[in-house]
Amino acid sequence: MNPDFQHVIRRRRFLSQAGLGFGSLALNGILQADTPNAKTGGSAKAKNVIWLFMRGGVSHMESFDPKPALTKFAGKSIPDTPFAHVLESERFKDQRVVVVNDANGKQRNKIYPLQVGFKRYGENGTAISDWFPHIGSRVDDIAIIRSMWTTDNNHGAQVQFHSGRHMLDPRVPTIGAWVTYGLGTLNENLPQFINIGPRFFDKRDGHYLGPAFDAVSLKIDPKNPLNFAKPQGKVTPEEQEETFALTNRLNRLAAEQYPEDPVLDARIKSYELAFNMQTSVPEAMDFSKETEATKNLYGFDQKETKPFAQQLLAARRFAERGVRFIQIMHGDGAAGAWDQHSKLKANHSKLARQVDRPVAGLLTDLKQRGMLDETIVVFATEFGRTPGSQGADGRDHHPFGFSVWMAGGGIKGGVVHGATDEIGFHATEHPHYVTDIHHTLLHQLGLDPHALQVPGHKRLERDFGHLIPQILA
Amino acid sequence: MVAIAVLLGSFGFLPSSMAAPDYLKEVKPLLASRCFDCHGGLKQKGKLRVDTVAAMLERGVVNPGKPDDSELIYRISTGELEDRMPPEHEGALFREHEIKVIRDWITAGAKGPEDEKPEASPEDHWAFQRIERPEVPTIEDSEFKIRNPIDAFLAQKQIKHGLKPQSEAQRSLLLRRLYLDLVGLPPTPGQLESEKTFEVIVEELLASPHHGERWGRHWMDIWRYSDWYGLGEQLRYSQKHLWHWRDWIIDSVNADKGYDRMLQEMLAGDELDPGNHEVVAGTGFLARNYYLFNRTTWLDSTIEHSGKAFLGLTLNCAKCHDHKYDPISQVDYYRFRAFFEPHQIRLDAVPGESDFKKNGLPRAFDDQPGAPTPFHIRGNPSTPDESREIVPGVPELFASFASEPEPIELPVEEWAPGVRDYFQAGEIEKAEDELARAKEGLAKAQEQEGKPKTPKPESPAKLKAKPTEAGKGFSLIDDFERERSDLWKVVGTGWRYQGGDLVQLEPNREEQHVRSVKPHPGDFELEFRFRTTGGPTYKSVGIRFDLTDDGKNSHTVYASAHAPGPKVQIAHKVGGRTNYPAHAKVEMPINENTDYTLGVQVRGHLVNVSLNGEFLIAYHLPNRFPSGKIELMAFDATAEFDSIRVIPLDGGVKLKPPTGGMTKGGVKAPAATSIDLAKANLEKAQAYLQSLRARIAADNAAYRSQGDPEEAAKAAALAEKKYAVAAAKHEVLETSGGKVAEAKKKLASAKKALENPGSKYASLRGSFKALETPKHKEPQYAATYSRTSTGRRLALAEWITSRENPLTARVAANHIWTRHFGEPLVETVFDFGRSAPKPEHAELLDFLAIELIESGWSMKHLHRLMVTSEAWRRSSSNLDADPDTYAYDKTNRFYWRMNPRRMESQVVRDSLISHAGVIDLTMGGPSVDPGSNSLRRAIYFKHSRDQQSQLLATFDDAEILACYRRTESIVPQQALALTNSKVSIDMSQAMADKGAKDPETFIKSTFLRLLCREPTEAELEECATFLTNVPNRARLVQALFNHNDFLMIR
Repeated sequence: MNPDFQHVIRRRRFLSQAGLGFGSLALNGILQADTPNAKTGGSAKAKNVIWLFMRGGVSHMESFDPKPALTKFAGKSIPDTPFAHVLESERFKDQRVVVVNDANGKQRNKIYPLQVGFKRYGENGTAISDWFPHIGSRVDDIAIIRSMWTTDNNHGAQVQFHSGRHMLDPRVPTIGAWVTYGLGTLNENLPQFINIGPRFFDKRDGHYLGPAFDAVSLKIDPKNPLNFAKPQGKVTPEEQEETFALTNRLNRLAAEQYPEDPVLDARIKSYELAFNMQTSVPEAMDFSKETEATKNLYGFDQKETKPFAQQLLAARRFAERGVRFIQIMHGDGAAGAWDQHSKLKANHSKLARQVDRPVAGLLTDLKQRGMLDETIVVFATEFGRTPGSQGADGRDHHPFGFSVWMAGGGIKGGVVHGATDEIGFHATEHPHYVTDIHHTLLHQLGLDPHALQVPGHKRLERDFGHLIPQILA
Repeated sequence: MVAIAVLLGSFGFLPSSMAAPDYLKEVKPLLASRCFDCHGGLKQKGKLRVDTVAAMLERGVVNPGKPDDSELIYRISTGELEDRMPPEHEGALFREHEIKVIRDWITAGAKGPEDEKPEASPEDHWAFQRIERPEVPTIEDSEFKIRNPIDAFLAQKQIKHGLKPQSEAQRSLLLRRLYLDLVGLPPTPGQLESEKTFEVIVEELLASPHHGERWGRHWMDIWRYSDWYGLGEQLRYSQKHLWHWRDWIIDSVNADKGYDRMLQEMLAGDELDPGNHEVVAGTGFLARNYYLFNRTTWLDSTIEHSGKAFLGLTLNCAKCHDHKYDPISQVDYYRFRAFFEPHQIRLDAVPGESDFKKNGLPRAFDDQPGAPTPFHIRGNPSTPDESREIVPGVPELFASFASEPEPIELPVEEWAPGVRDYFQAGEIEKAEDELARAKEGLAKAQEQEGKPKTPKPESPAKLKAKPTEAGKGFSLIDDFERERSDLWKVVGTGWRYQGGDLVQLEPNREEQHVRSVKPHPGDFELEFRFRTTGGPTYKSVGIRFDLTDDGKNSHTVYASAHAPGPKVQIAHKVGGRTNYPAHAKVEMPINENTDYTLGVQVRGHLVNVSLNGEFLIAYHLPNRFPSGKIELMAFDATAEFDSIRVIPLDGGVKLKPPTGGMTKGGVKAPAATSIDLAKANLEKAQAYLQSLRARIAADNAAYRSQGDPEEAAKAAALAEKKYAVAAAKHEVLETSGGKVAEAKKKLASAKKALENPGSKYASLRGSFKALETPKHKEPQYAATYSRTSTGRRLALAEWITSRENPLTARVAANHIWTRHFGEPLVETVFDFGRSAPKPEHAELLDFLAIELIESGWSMKHLHRLMVTSEAWRRSSSNLDADPDTYAYDKTNRFYWRMNPRRMESQVVRDSLISHAGVIDLTMGGPSVDPGSNSLRRAIYFKHSRDQQSQLLATFDDAEILACYRRTESIVPQQALALTNSKVSIDMSQAMADKGAKDPETFIKSTFLRLLCREPTEAELEECATFLTNVPNRARLVQALFNHNDFLMIR
């Protein structure tokens, strides 16, 4: 149709693969030239994102959406309660089965009482469970969305939460990849998109945008935070610096033989970043210059909280240094630690202790440094858990209604948006599909989700999601 | 085409609010995106087309000047669900501002261009036309060198656009290009200097077995090769031993098997040449799609990737609704599925191995010939349309050359794989070995019984003598402060010396260990300090001794922090099999992050184990392996090793005699005498061999008409029951404690069964069927299968590879071109449907496709054509390019120069080890752990979601879900990998050590080797200066590893 079409694709293919600061910026420039809608026009409210993801499925009723009715009707089958209607929802049709005849992923309609009490916090008296008292104390900074839904009743929903697509669909870029694709970097010495913590179902992000938009995985190990960051053999730092410099000079000399070679230019740039990353990444993960007070704010002083505290302090330090998207995964195992098919009380309370203080500490610290205005913190999970019991003391996967929250970057604090029904079964008031979170995030970052597309890869309406205006300041 | 229109539309120029919207730029793209698939060239629902203004006016859906009176506006803006367009589930609604654009256009008079053409009908799509041999253009201009028709087709375009191509690359660069392109290994200096003609070298390389590895890897990308993966031991995706298929690919490429034949063997090798494992191995393609949890998901993958890889059709887009662009209905999707519906996957035993965990051929077979194919309404398996009967078939547009499936009678070894001669013989051999071992065991037991109470090896005299002989002066003491390659050989990933410890950071269950360089004395004492810091499940840390060099025999003493059952255990490995005797363990808490000192003392067959100085186990070793080595192990664990001390056992040390079985409570298990046990074991082995022979006879009678089936079955049933009794007797003697009662019960029922043996017996199971759901267990499947195959897959394969099929050869030729020239002729390599515009070089593509077909689908023929073309031999540089040519065609659409390509991940890594001269060119066989320091070619590394080489991943390794084309990213981690990875550092050192002494000669030869060119004066100077500052030549080599001209195929 258009004779230049292939040419455009080739150029994009090249640019999207040159995963560097300048590459993304250049790409961004092209996007803007091609698409006047690339930006909303409104100024960006936020610069970066700290994305906290609780793997396995946090019970919404025992975290941010307490439901006293569960205790009241404990032990009854849902059809024997006034809420029998929840079992006749259209939404069941949206479910897509990944594992046929799985013992898990059922609706479980015998009501299981709340396993924890709750208190009211903040100016609006928002109910939050007693497992999250520290986050409760920050409730005036956060907007809770109690009406999330998704369509995968198994842990592939982790993929879905990040990409908007069901596990059985082809893989598409995740929210972190789109953010970095759209915005480029703020710091040429650091990767723009990092991941700390376990992943399982999909370890990539960029997909058709290319590996340049995959998160760079980092470990909380100041000695070896990044793959290949340290020589796996005897090489002195001085030697290494000289070697990098020689490569650089030789590549520049080669440009005489190969003029106007965009790949060569990109490679020279990427070596500079590589060299810098060797010091800038460990520097960002070196906590020695942080005060004891700061460290303890995050929970370095307790064995239980220390691992997550370290990750979140690192997150703040990366945000400070301009990393765009900082993805922190919590909860080991294939399914994720929060997957309490049994022993919900014992395990959820333990896991909540691991994250509650560090997360609240992060919010406090960001705020006291004036960073919360420009940094969006998202606290999410792939689905909720069933109002009914599984076995003696567990809850099953529940995609029909669950909670996430957001804070900072122009998100209104002290807000509770949307609701599930009395027993937490369905998202009833302002239901939101997972990509609504993406849309809202992109909007606050000054990006129009509809402008984020590349030729040859059709995005669906559902991929773009909808803005949640009620939670904006 | 429509997709492009959408994009152009949304990227288009937005008018000021006053001007009438431009129909072509603004209105038509909107209609194209939402309406054309039902009201355009593909379909005309309600006999309506909206792909031209004329058609809309004629039908009256647009009333110029009166938007409110235009049905079009009503349809796209109404809230009435029944009237609204697009209908529910058929596409996104028009957005408000889009409706406004269309309204404004109608208000302004609904003007369109005079000569507007309706959308083409699918029959006219370029890629759906029969492939005909195009006429090769005659090029008169002698400026254009024409080596073969490829050049003529390209020259025609170049002349038309006034382009001047680059001249040929210098020979050394050309040879590098050729070697990397055809065999994936760089030329040696000798090969660079060869005076053979280019054409001769081409033939040599095409004939090289490494050509199959290079091009096999390309096809493995396209055909989605992945080793099995799942969760822990549970296989969820693909199949074990899929390397058989990888080897089939390599061998097929090397043999220049026709591409058509390869596809046939992949889809239906079992129907094409049933019983022939060399052909059946091709169906590994189908085995790769296996998915444990959901048959529909499994078949969806098979359909999607057969469509994309072989046909360039996105069949997957028709799963939930009719295809939006191509003439493929939703019913067609399920008819395509019906070709695959009967098939399942199994492992067939291969000669020499009947343990399916160790080997077996993954393959397809028709398990349920009559299985009905569902039709899922809107693609949802929970809403099948019961009223439809789905029979296999192809989309109508391509149906004229389809084959009808014809059922195929299978040879016996296909449906009763247990009767294969080698399998029966192998089973008998195993049983005979077992019998021999049992005899030996009895002899030993009798010998021991006859001896004095203290066995010989432990007699005091010997004890004193031994250490002074064998262990004289021996000591193995290490505090792990630093690497000691003189003491240890470290195998596996995740080991690091840090913080004064040797730590294991990456828990896994592979062969990972730290093995002593020297053997230990027969009698020794050992003290090992360690901490277990974590791990997924077993968290076992400890030591091995008596370890033979092949790793197949050893004794292990370890502490497991496995939460449900922590313990200290002695285990034995004999001939690769590990045994965990119940009476050689102590169940006790083992904590993570706690210092432990494990003590082991060995004298003759007696071993004493202590933990933190506290005695735990005394045990009699069933055997010893002289001159064995010590090994430190962390299995499924992360750990920190603090120190170890191994010295000869002093003769004066007293060891405790063996205890019996011990648990925390210290209860002793009464054991049968060893002679009784050995006798029972012998009887069991004898009975087993007899029953096996009887079962084989019965199988042969039943399935191969050798003898009377009824009599043979009775004999087999009787022999089997006798064996059951013998086995139960043995078990009664062997078990202890609470399990004895259970064993006795078993014996009673076995005796009972023997009274009335009947004629039912277990046929030999010569294959292992993949589980249909996780709830199934292998024994519930029959040992024999359907005696016929439906022939469906063969019919499908014949249709795909028909001369009349317009897609198959074009798609293949495009793939081959892409991998020689760096850019495809058809950009959407897996989609040749109507979304793919007619390519610039369509005639060239057709020429290549017809050459492929008419050469008997010879891929080597195409390789030869391509690499001997002038186009392929051109310089890849813009240097001295004609300025007008460069300005006109910067992205080289017209191939006026060669496209430089980045080496694929495998080529990068293989080049490093090849240049260092350490590459191991062994071909074929089981996949190798990518974390090992193996020097095999990278194609042999395990490649799955959970196992990928980190180095390869950094350089855009093949995506396992789908990889129709590799990406060529440029990311900083690549520079870090080539700077810091062990392989890069080691290989640079090896090259530095081997190089010439004189710096200048070294620099020049290194340039020549790595970049296949001489350094320029300036480069030489830079390098010489570097060597005076950094007197380590390995760093110079590494600088060149990171050179753009090394990573690029110039």
